[in-house]
Parts: sequence; structure tokens; C-alpha cells
Amino acid sequence: MSMNNPSGTQNGTQTEAILTRREFVMLMVGAGASVALATMLAEPLNPLFQRVLGGDIEHEKYTAAASDNPRWGMVINLSTCIGCEYCVYACQATNDVTDAMRWNVHIVDETPTGNIFHMTRPCLHCNNAPCVSVCPVSATYSRSDGLVVMDYDKCIGCRYCEVACPYGARSFNWEERGDEPNPRAPEWGTPEVPRRPRGVVEKCTFCIHRIDAGLAAGLTPGVDPEATPACVNICPVRARVFGDLNNPESEVSQIIASTATFRLREDLGTEPNVYYIPPEGLAI
Amino acid sequence: MIDRALGAARRSPHLTIWYLFLVTLLAFGAVSGARVLIEGLRVTNLTDELPWGLWIVIDLSSIALGAGAFTLSAAVYVFGLKQYASIARAAVFVGLLGYTSAMLALFVDIGRPDRFYHPILYWNPHSVLWEITIAVMFYTTVLVLEFTPIIVESTPLNNYALARRLGHLLHRIMPVVALVGMGISMVHQSSLGATYGILTARPVWYSPSAPVLFILSAIAAGPALTLLVTMISGELMQKRLVPEDVLHGVARFVGFASLAYLYLKLWSWLAVSYYSHVPGHASGIEILNENTPYGFTFWWGEVLMGALLPAIIFLWPRTRRNRYALMLGALMVVAGLVVNRWNVTLSGFVVPLDWSPGVLDVFPINMYEPSLVEWGVAAGIIGYSWLGWTLGVRYLRLYPNAVRLVRRRVVTQPAVAESGEQPATAR
Repeated sequence: MSMNNPSGTQNGTQTEAILTRREFVMLMVGAGASVALATMLAEPLNPLFQRVLGGDIEHEKYTAAASDNPRWGMVINLSTCIGCEYCVYACQATNDVTDAMRWNVHIVDETPTGNIFHMTRPCLHCNNAPCVSVCPVSATYSRSDGLVVMDYDKCIGCRYCEVACPYGARSFNWEERGDEPNPRAPEWGTPEVPRRPRGVVEKCTFCIHRIDAGLAAGLTPGVDPEATPACVNICPVRARVFGDLNNPESEVSQIIASTATFRLREDLGTEPNVYYIPPEGLAI
Repeated sequence: MIDRALGAARRSPHLTIWYLFLVTLLAFGAVSGARVLIEGLRVTNLTDELPWGLWIVIDLSSIALGAGAFTLSAAVYVFGLKQYASIARAAVFVGLLGYTSAMLALFVDIGRPDRFYHPILYWNPHSVLWEITIAVMFYTTVLVLEFTPIIVESTPLNNYALARRLGHLLHRIMPVVALVGMGISMVHQSSLGATYGILTARPVWYSPSAPVLFILSAIAAGPALTLLVTMISGELMQKRLVPEDVLHGVARFVGFASLAYLYLKLWSWLAVSYYSHVPGHASGIEILNENTPYGFTFWWGEVLMGALLPAIIFLWPRTRRNRYALMLGALMVVAGLVVNRWNVTLSGFVVPLDWSPGVLDVFPINMYEPSLVEWGVAAGIIGYSWLGWTLGVRYLRLYPNAVRLVRRRVVTQPAVAESGEQPATAR
């Protein structure tokens, strides 16, 4: 306090003060009271803070307890993918997605060696999902099994998650969807979930409805087709494999343990749960 | 009734034309807003790749331009610069118009306006946007508290003892209100910059200086807008609304704030684009320069017009004493801020994301031009704030020290000389 003596009376010289001692003390008391009040008001928030900030601790717990606490993930093999887009269509049919809002996308890219390869991308279900941290209403959140989920009833449609997602994995319902037929049904499957209302954001769910219902029925997601995402089931070259990353016996874990894989934009620290096997000619 | 309106119109034709113009803007806005609410956001030119546009620019600009309220209130009630009380009320009113404009823009912009209250129910303390929403809500409450005594004083409410006592009570706790308001403002004004600054996947945006640039530019542009509307209104109403030395003090403050902003702005550029080479950032700027007028608007609009020239005008005593130079300078700061908010918002979207591991440029560059409906809503919001100001300055006691000038030519001469003798000081 004495170092900040506002009246500048050192060496007995009296100088014009910007604030009087009284005003300064008032200011400090006011600031202190504000901090105290803010801390007090934030008290009920603590469990919330812990829930939001405690991701790492939870992650370790899952690793230890393996399949009792599954962490759903996918491996996509870019060296076998032929770019048939079956996964894109099956997803559209199953989840009732329009052409403009595809949850699964396919693009054609090239390795530095000139090798053309087919890239497909669902939502990567990141462990540190930027969309989850920016959502102002917690409408998108990380489930304990690693799935990044949307609550369509909470979403206010601000689209900050679209802005924050590094992978462009989110689509907004710009207009009301009427009764127009699904562009891919019934050839590629039947819609299993309701259409989303106008004004909310949606994204790939790893076919969460199949996983949850499958587990309840005693099935194993990634093994039993009824409990496995539609895009994985339909792939004609088995370029997509789904399963529990926390279970060392699962096929996804075995592939990751034995094969060189990479994740998209590893540098961003988003920790996706989708792993890619590189195409020939792509150094990782 | 109609006779009286016609009579008023005949006495002040300019004002009538102005009101008609504002009503036109409002009608355009109402029709456009209704279309958005009925048909949804497909009537905009926004896409999943470029989901924010003109309305977010309006939202960011009006909040920044409302920053005069907290700066000048803090000057009066926290730092004890009592002479600024003569302009602080007007600043509070500008702030209130700015924040309500932003809320209007956001209400139309979100996909589910019927759920606007959700941030209050479903908290996400980790979201910078949640923090902004809550802070804007609290700060608007602060503005209403600061504005209530003005309403009481200016209306027949003043005849009621209870209303007068409420006004008096609010006036007495104003130092606390102003302190809280300053705290909340400092936080959320910078958080708006953080909205973009924290996005690691977008090198053009990702920047630790973004929050600080936002607060510094708001501290400069907020008082600048208050200065501008005060001077224009004074000219038109032939009143000296605020003593000259207060105008000059605000101008000097804006000048120094502009310099501080300029300083950080230049260093943010130097550190990333000149003294070092950040690949993602450099290629992003290259894309912007090739496809948009970003380079031109950044250097000429934001830096030169928005900060450097006004700083010179406001800090050089000769130009500061010239009323027209002062108005021009304030207008330049305000325009520079809007250009900046546009550039910041759009630049990050124009440059596409890059997540595919290959070497091809597979993602197209995103270009944007607001649709007619977007312009319409924007016009409506601008019409709302201008109409609000026009009515407020005419019917509310925004300027406690206002003096009517009988003949402008006679009175302005000594006023200029007077201020020359007593150089305005900020402290």
C-alpha cells in the first residue's frame, strides 16, 4: 500500500494528487468488494467449472477401466477408400440429412508424391472439441463415452460452433424442412431419427441412437451391425472400422496399435477420436 | 391532430424530412426482419462456411460505439473528473442505444430467437460467448440504472415524490454503478475480440492481441461517437450543449486512445507479418489481398483514417480548436472502427479451413456480400438508433449544461478564443 501512496508526500513535498487518499481508499475498497462478491457469486459454479475443466482426469479413468467405460472411435483407411461415397449416402438416409447439410463428406486430394486419394470425414468427436467449449448454452457437449452430441432443444442457433470447428463438420438448418422425400431413401436405408427443426445446428452423431439401443440390447457397437454407424456397415471395402478405443481387444485398438495412423490437424490439440491410415505416398 | 402535425412540419421542414427518412429506414427494417422471422435465415447470403456477416458487424460495432458510456461515466464517477458530467449523460444514452441495437441484431441473427434467454438457464462458463451474453445483459442493466434519473428528470415522472427519490438514490449510488459498469465493460468489450482471437484453427484470427485491440478501439471510438453526435446535434439545434473545454478534453482522450490502439495494432502486425513468418497467417493474408480489398481497407481505412489522422487532429491544438476538424476526426474514428469490425469478422471466413492432409487446395475461398434482407435489417437497426437519438436529444435532459445560442456567428467567436486561453486538460 505504502508503495502506491497516491498523495505523493515523500520527502515532505506536497504535489497535486490525481486522487485524494480518501478516494483512493474508497476505490480500493470498492474493487475489493467487487472481487469478493464475484467470488461469492461464483461459488455455486464450482461443480460446473470442475465438470468443464476436469476433462483430463476423466480421460485417465476411462483408459484404466477399458470397455466398462467405452470411448467410441473410428479408423478410416485412406489407402483402401475408393471414393464410392456409399458412406455419405447411407449416413444421409439413416440420419435423414439433406444434400446441402451432409454430415459425412468426401473430397479428392493428392499426396506430395502425386498420388490421388479419397478423403472422407465424419464428425471427429474430439476429446477437446472447440465446438463444445465455445457453445454459449451447452447445447453441444461431450458425453463420457467420447461422443460429441447436440441437444437440439437447447441450441439457439448462434453458429459459433460452426465458426470454431476446425473441420467444418457442422451444418445449420437455414430453412424449415417440409415433407420432401429423403434424397437417399430408401435405396441407402431408412431414416431412423427425426428431422431437425429450422434454426439449429446439427452434425454427425456416430449413429448414437444405434449405439445406445445396441448397448441396452447387449450388442457390441463395431461388431454387431445393429449397433454400428451406418457408414461403417455400408463400406464395400471395409475402409471404416468402429469400436471402443478403451478396449485393447477391439478392432480399432488393434489397428491403431499395429499400424501407423494419424489424426486430422493433430497440431491443434483437439484430440479427435477418428484415426486415419494414410494413403500411399503420404508421410505422417 | 393532423393540422398540428402539418403545422409542425411547415415550421421545421428539415426535421420532418429527417423523420420521414428514419421512418422509411424503420419500415424497411420491419419488413426485412419479418421476412427473416417467417422464412428463416435462408433469406441471407450466409452459409455453413461463412455463418456470420453484416449483422455480427453491426452487433460488434454498436457495442464498441456504446463504450463512451462506461469510459465517460468512469471519468466522472470513478476518477472524479466532474466537468465531464456535462457529456456523460449523453454518452450513457448513446450506450443504451448501442447495446439495444446489438441485441436487436442478435435477436434476428440467431436461428432460434424464441430461445434468446437460454444462456441464462444453460451455463457454459468455458464459452467466451456465454460470458459476453451474461456481461452484456448485466451491463445493459447498468445502463438502464444510469439512465433512469435522466428519464425521471425529463418527464412528468418528476412530479412524483417516489420517482424523484428513486432518481436521487440512483444518483447517489452512481459511483458504485459506474465502477461495476467499468469492470463489466472492460471484460466483455475485450471478450468480443477473444471470440475470434481464441480460434486456433483460423490463423488470420488467432491472436492474443485481439481482445486488447477490441477494448482499445472501443475506448477510442465510443467517446468519439458521443463527441460526434453531441457536436452535430449542437450545430443543428443551435445550442452549445457542452462546454468547449469538455469537448476538447474528450477529443484529447480519444486522440491518446487512438495512439494506444495504433501502437498495439502496428506491433500485432509487425510481430506476425514483418519480423517473423507464420505460414498459415501469411498465406491467409495473401488470399485476402488477392480476393478482397482487405489490404487497402486495413491500411487506409483502419490505420490511416481510423486512428492516425484522427489522433493528429485531436492532439494538435490548432485542429482541435476547429469545430469542423473535430467533427471530421470523430467521424473518421467511428468509420474506422466499423471498417475494422467488418475486416476482422469477414477475414477469418474468407480464408478457408485446411484440414485435409493432402497438398491440393480442396476448399474454396468464401466470398460474401450481404443480401437485400440483411441490408434491410441493418437499415432498420440504424434507423432505430438514429430515431432514438433524435427524440432523446430533443425531449430528454441529456445535456445539463446546455446553453441556447441566439446568433451563432456572434457567440462562437468568443467561445473559440476562450478555449484558446485555457487549454483543455484531461485531468
